[in-house]
Amino acid sequence: MGKRPPKYSAGALIKHGLTRGDWPRMWRRPEMRSSYDVVIIGGGLHGLATAYYLAENHGITNVAVVDKGYIGGGGSGRNTAIVRSNYLTPEGVAFYDRSLDLYNTMATDLNLNIMFSKRGHLTLAHTDSALRTMHWRAEVNKLQGIDSSVIDAQEVKKQAPSLDVSQNTRYPILGALHHPPGGIVRHDAVVWGYARGADVHDVHILQETEVLDIMVEGGSGPGGKGAGGKVTGVKTSRGDISAPIVVNCTAGWASLISNMAGVPLPITTHPLQAAVTEPCKVFLPTVVVSGSLHVYVSQTDRGELVFGASVDPVGTYRVNGTLEFTEELAGHVLELMPGISKMRLLRQWSGLCDMTPDYSPVMGNTPVEGYLVDVGWGTYGFKAGPVAGETLAETIATGRNADLISAFGIERFTEGDLVGEKGAAAVGH
Amino acid sequence: MSNRLTAQPGEIIDRSTSLSFTWNGKAVTGHQGDTIASAIAASGVDVFGRSMKYHRKRGILTADHWDPNLFVQVGDEPNVRAGSRRLEAGMVVSTQNVWPSLEFDLGAANQLVGRFLSSGFYYKTFMRPKFLWPLYQKVLKKFAPGGRIHWETSTHDAYDKRYVHPDVLVAGGGPAGMGAALAAADNGASVLLVEQYGDLGGHLLWGDDAQRAQGADLAAACRAHANIEVLVDSTVTGRYDHNWISVMQRSHDIAPERLIKARAGVMVVAPGLVERPYVFAGNDTPGVILSGAARRLINLWAVKPGNRAVVMSANADGDAAVADLERVGVEVVAVLDARKGESIVSVEGKSRVSKVALSDGRTLNADLVVTATGWTAPTSLLNMAGDRPVYDATAARYFSNSLPSNILATGGITGDGSTAELEAHGRATGVLAANRALRRRHDRVAQTARSNDPAWDKPAEMADSRTPLNRVPHPECYRSTTHGMVDFSEDVSSKDLIQASKEGFDSIELMKRYTTVTMGPSQGKLETVNAAAVLAEANQVSMAEIGTTVWRPPFAPITLGALAGRIHEPVRRSALQDWHDAHGAAPLLAGQWVRPDHYGDPMGEADNVRNNVGLIDVTPLGKLDLRGPDVSKLLELVYVNKWSKLDIGRVRYGTMVAEDGVVSDDGVTGRLGEYHWLMTCTSSGAGAVWEMLEDWLQTYRPEWQVHVTAVTGGLTSINVAGPHSRTLLERIVEDVDLSADAFPYFSVRQGTVAGVSDCIIWRIGFTGELSYEVHVPSGHALHVWEELLAQGEDLGCRPFGVEAQRILRLEKGHYIVGQDTDGLSKAPTAGLGGLVKLDKPDTIGLPELKAAYERTDLPILVGVQTDDPEIVPEEAAQIVDGGSNTILGRITSSRMSPTLGRSVCLAQVDPSLAAAGSSITVLLADGRRVTATVQEHHAHVDPEGARQRV
Amino acid sequence: MIVVPCPNCGPRNSGDLRNCGELVPRPDPSTASLVEWREYLYMRKNPADWVTETWYCRGGCRRYFTIERNTATNEIRGQEAS
Ligand SMILES: Cc1cc2nc3c(=O)[nH]c(=O)nc-3n(C[C@H](O)[C@H](O)[C@H](O)COP(=O)(O)OP(=O)(O)OC[C@H]3O[C@@H](n4cnc5c(N)ncnc54)[C@H](O)[C@@H]3O)c2cc1C
Ligand SMILES: [Zn+2]
Repeated sequence: MGKRPPKYSAGALIKHGLTRGDWPRMWRRPEMRSSYDVVIIGGGLHGLATAYYLAENHGITNVAVVDKGYIGGGGSGRNTAIVRSNYLTPEGVAFYDRSLDLYNTMATDLNLNIMFSKRGHLTLAHTDSALRTMHWRAEVNKLQGIDSSVIDAQEVKKQAPSLDVSQNTRYPILGALHHPPGGIVRHDAVVWGYARGADVHDVHILQETEVLDIMVEGGSGPGGKGAGGKVTGVKTSRGDISAPIVVNCTAGWASLISNMAGVPLPITTHPLQAAVTEPCKVFLPTVVVSGSLHVYVSQTDRGELVFGASVDPVGTYRVNGTLEFTEELAGHVLELMPGISKMRLLRQWSGLCDMTPDYSPVMGNTPVEGYLVDVGWGTYGFKAGPVAGETLAETIATGRNADLISAFGIERFTEGDLVGEKGAAAVGH
Repeated sequence: MSNRLTAQPGEIIDRSTSLSFTWNGKAVTGHQGDTIASAIAASGVDVFGRSMKYHRKRGILTADHWDPNLFVQVGDEPNVRAGSRRLEAGMVVSTQNVWPSLEFDLGAANQLVGRFLSSGFYYKTFMRPKFLWPLYQKVLKKFAPGGRIHWETSTHDAYDKRYVHPDVLVAGGGPAGMGAALAAADNGASVLLVEQYGDLGGHLLWGDDAQRAQGADLAAACRAHANIEVLVDSTVTGRYDHNWISVMQRSHDIAPERLIKARAGVMVVAPGLVERPYVFAGNDTPGVILSGAARRLINLWAVKPGNRAVVMSANADGDAAVADLERVGVEVVAVLDARKGESIVSVEGKSRVSKVALSDGRTLNADLVVTATGWTAPTSLLNMAGDRPVYDATAARYFSNSLPSNILATGGITGDGSTAELEAHGRATGVLAANRALRRRHDRVAQTARSNDPAWDKPAEMADSRTPLNRVPHPECYRSTTHGMVDFSEDVSSKDLIQASKEGFDSIELMKRYTTVTMGPSQGKLETVNAAAVLAEANQVSMAEIGTTVWRPPFAPITLGALAGRIHEPVRRSALQDWHDAHGAAPLLAGQWVRPDHYGDPMGEADNVRNNVGLIDVTPLGKLDLRGPDVSKLLELVYVNKWSKLDIGRVRYGTMVAEDGVVSDDGVTGRLGEYHWLMTCTSSGAGAVWEMLEDWLQTYRPEWQVHVTAVTGGLTSINVAGPHSRTLLERIVEDVDLSADAFPYFSVRQGTVAGVSDCIIWRIGFTGELSYEVHVPSGHALHVWEELLAQGEDLGCRPFGVEAQRILRLEKGHYIVGQDTDGLSKAPTAGLGGLVKLDKPDTIGLPELKAAYERTDLPILVGVQTDDPEIVPEEAAQIVDGGSNTILGRITSSRMSPTLGRSVCLAQVDPSLAAAGSSITVLLADGRRVTATVQEHHAHVDPEGARQRV
Repeated sequence: MIVVPCPNCGPRNSGDLRNCGELVPRPDPSTASLVEWREYLYMRKNPADWVTETWYCRGGCRRYFTIERNTATNEIRGQEAS
């Protein structure tokens, strides 16, 4: 516990600049062992954060994080990095708020500047009913101590002057849910920070290692897998690893991995697309989300506008994107800001999202002993990465689901107790 | 000082024209045919802008669309590519990335501290003290590159879109692309030939006399061919699944840019090659240009690129550049033959190259450095089709690996050759493309139902027997012995990349993310290969092992305006909406519809309904006409209640749940005849209910005979509500007995209203008053509405809007699905107790309905009144456990009731609070906690329903 | 915008239709256990492979039909390459 990598600071930068020495590696490329105490599948934010907290908070360090590609190559390197905690249900709010706490201190905790820009987050309401939902969220948020309130169109204009708040538009802006602590983060830096923090504890980050199967004994399903079974390890493209605990942190690929253990998931994989414009001088100070228009936008410090939308309607593992996404996006953005018609879309990309029926994750122990899931992160798992890692590490270390995730267990789908986050998570991410 | 040369044989400028424009406030002139950059360069300018991070002075590098140094602001348009944008008279052109001026730029101070600002430096600092970080951020923001968007004054102008369905779409109008287009067209395919620059010809345009003549002949043949449509100044920007292809057409008559969407049978990708820069110290100094830039400047625009040149050449194009330079009187002081290992080591110079150090140790004075060190294959469009190109060390570039059958590549992207060889490969590709496309066209025609087999025979499948183009050996020239810029737009040097690899960012994707190399406006067209080469060097592996980054769409940036096109999201209007507008109705946008919210006095309108009679236009109500012998079975299935015994002439209220037991819709359905019913549902649910019914009828119960027709807009629905409603209707309804006995509550009749036959009238009571809903064929709706008002004048008949209706329904305790229920509300929550029948063999969501009624923990919808009658809690106000913050429910609807003179609410509460008389605590938005009491009924007014049953 | 073959209207842009997801057989509600019922409601195979799925020809003939699509490539059985 408490091990630290060589420190980054302004002083260290100057020293390196003067001596022109090399910086040490942020993480190594270690030799794979034949067994680990814990194998985490997926080197995204969730897998790496889990590994970090296992080591940092619980002293469990004989851990491998395996990824078929490079770390952060999945959703963690493709998302639009919005963080916020103004969800709708008390379970959701408590959970995401803890994550926001961790983001607040992350730069110093991990000694890496994750460029957290706490610029405020606006969820626009274009209809009476949307406004009512915003009030609902604001009220729930306030009760849990979250800074969140409904503001009117004039105040919206102050927050984001480029928005058209005139009332004769097709989607007039009637008001917005304003959440000052929300903002954006440099997503890759978060991934690297956790990787660096885990690597110091000798956690093995095994890139370009694909999990091909999960070994389970004694289960009720075909091949001894499934409910009642017990995990013994994984088969990978670089050989077998035995391990009593295997964790599925593979987001968009979660079903494929879980089917290997014989544990079906309530998940469908849909692409979520995003796009960025050429840079322009900064004019949009906050994050703007419109549920009715299925769009959200923020401007990076580099001047690019970053856009996102809701998931593609057709489920697929293809990530080459669609043209209609950019067309609809542009149309909707221009409804909000007609004055930016001459900005150019530079690049579009797509990532896979593991969508659940209730827009909430599936976390914790499963009917297969030693096989845990941290999936169903859909379009909102980036902001949850830190708390998911923290609670999952606790769950692994103690053997029982951490309190904060008690609403998110897989059993809710057999018990019919879904979480009501759809309204707050569908576009807002 | 003018750099304009005397007339050049291939020049594309029209010297008889003179186009005036301004460059950073100074007046400059150019000619028709100039690009912005060529005109400015001709006027003697070297420095066009400043780089992003270090604010280094930058000049022309490639003189084409991909030039990273030629981004300018033109009027209110930012980031215009001066290297390819045609000059127009009156343009106001300025530099973008400078402050305060191009010559004196404060950002250049970053150069001094550059050694501390290595890639990713920002990740390593600014963490402490924490409170300073927002300040640092403000400073970082100031350095955002790019132009300025004038959102205050800019508008979204007329943009347009177009669909095309060519058999073959050819991307690239060079010799190979033109050859492909001609051969495909000759073989019967319809062809769309798309060229990014202003004219067909590709690299032949700046070639020698023979090349230009060959190019012109091919271009003329393409333009003359009946099967070919030529688009110039247009870019194929994306290829998506199933060959859905986007083309960006600039210089269009009506739109500044037009998006063309093509569903092509086969796409032939012939984009040629992009020349790549050489990496050495000072390679971004103005005056260091690529051989293509030199040739284009001289041959297309007659611009002299410098006076004393050092040329480094690894290929024939470099050699040709030497010839061009010499021809126009540039003194070539040294030619370094990279094939023999000669190279440039570094250059010096601030605003312009002044000294060049060579690998043989010499240092020469020169103001121009021209490099020709090889090519990047712009494989974007192939990437988008799933191809992952592989590196060929012999030719020192990437080639495609595997392509789907509907994509073919030709030209420089596949190999090298003379003009004739390129054209021949293109032609062979065109023949193959036509074969595949026509086979596909045949299949598609045959697949379309009701069309007979096509009248022509499906061509036999042709094998790909094209002779591949040669891959001419080329030296692997990437970096000299010094470090220089790899990414000009992002200011990333080879040194940054090597450092990144050492820090663990040792795969191309990680390196890209850490250093931002290839992330700038040219998206890697210039940088990708050099970046891979530097990484291979750092990792001490071969380039083939490095791979490349995936190029994502679009191939070239597209304005948001063009992507959006005309924004056309119509609002649905009932046949009466014009009347509402003309009579002072406040419009309310509700989902797809615009509706009258009120006519100035919602409370008064509600009051009038309680005391006299009111009319409301409820057309948006979803309406489905159901016919057939099995309708009652369908209703039995989709509603939670019983439907089998509904007599003709009766209506009934029903609630729908989804398969998970959650309340999804509700409405009234009436039986008009033995086999004829009219179903109503919520406005927002209308589409979904219709689709759901079709799903059941087609998928699960195909044996049932039911025909569903949506009639929402076809019938205009007018609710006539209030104690005088019967009197009013009796005046204008001709053939229906409206008396209480003959036409009781929850009945339906068909008849003639104000002379309009085939109206459907049903007696229901959403408002709680005696009321009739009249469904009128929409063409006659206005007449009926006006007639009702006229005949009811003495009865106090007035229109009322949605707000009054909401007040009335809340007084009456009718819940609204989606407002008083939510995404988790099951039937017991909505208080449907008596209505739900669980003993049916099948109904949607039956197992969940049964399970829900076993539960005791579900929230319950109740009527609530605040103890202080003046307080109207906000909708969504939370119900809490006394002084604590534990949530026990929420107010779902609330209004001041004009009838009771006090506030009334519906609320969802925890079952422990659901009993009548329970006292609850409501947290108001202003933070006050007030008490309220749960009522016995949802209805606050007339819970027994006496008023509506008269 | 993929092309989806409606058995009635022929090949159409997917934007004219609605994807209704993986085909999941509906258990008999009068005999299904709650566990079986909820598997039908929520659990999905979600393979990166061929799936049988339902589409609705919303903008055309309003027919529901099934096709086989490969979710790894978006290729549709019996249709041209993706
Ligand atoms: C465009 C887009 C925008 C988004 N915007 C936001 C946002 O603004 N805010 C927010 O909170 N969330 C957002 N999200 C969601 C968020 O990105 C994800 O929920 C989150 O990144 C999930 O992280 P993860 O670590 O669980 O999964 P990932 O980062 O996807 O990592 C999963 C890893 O598993 C690996 N893997 C898969 N199969 C195997 C195998 N067989 N063997 C080994 N490794 C395997 C993959 O290579 C991958 O690296 C967005 C997502 C997308 C796509
Ligand atoms: Zn059809």
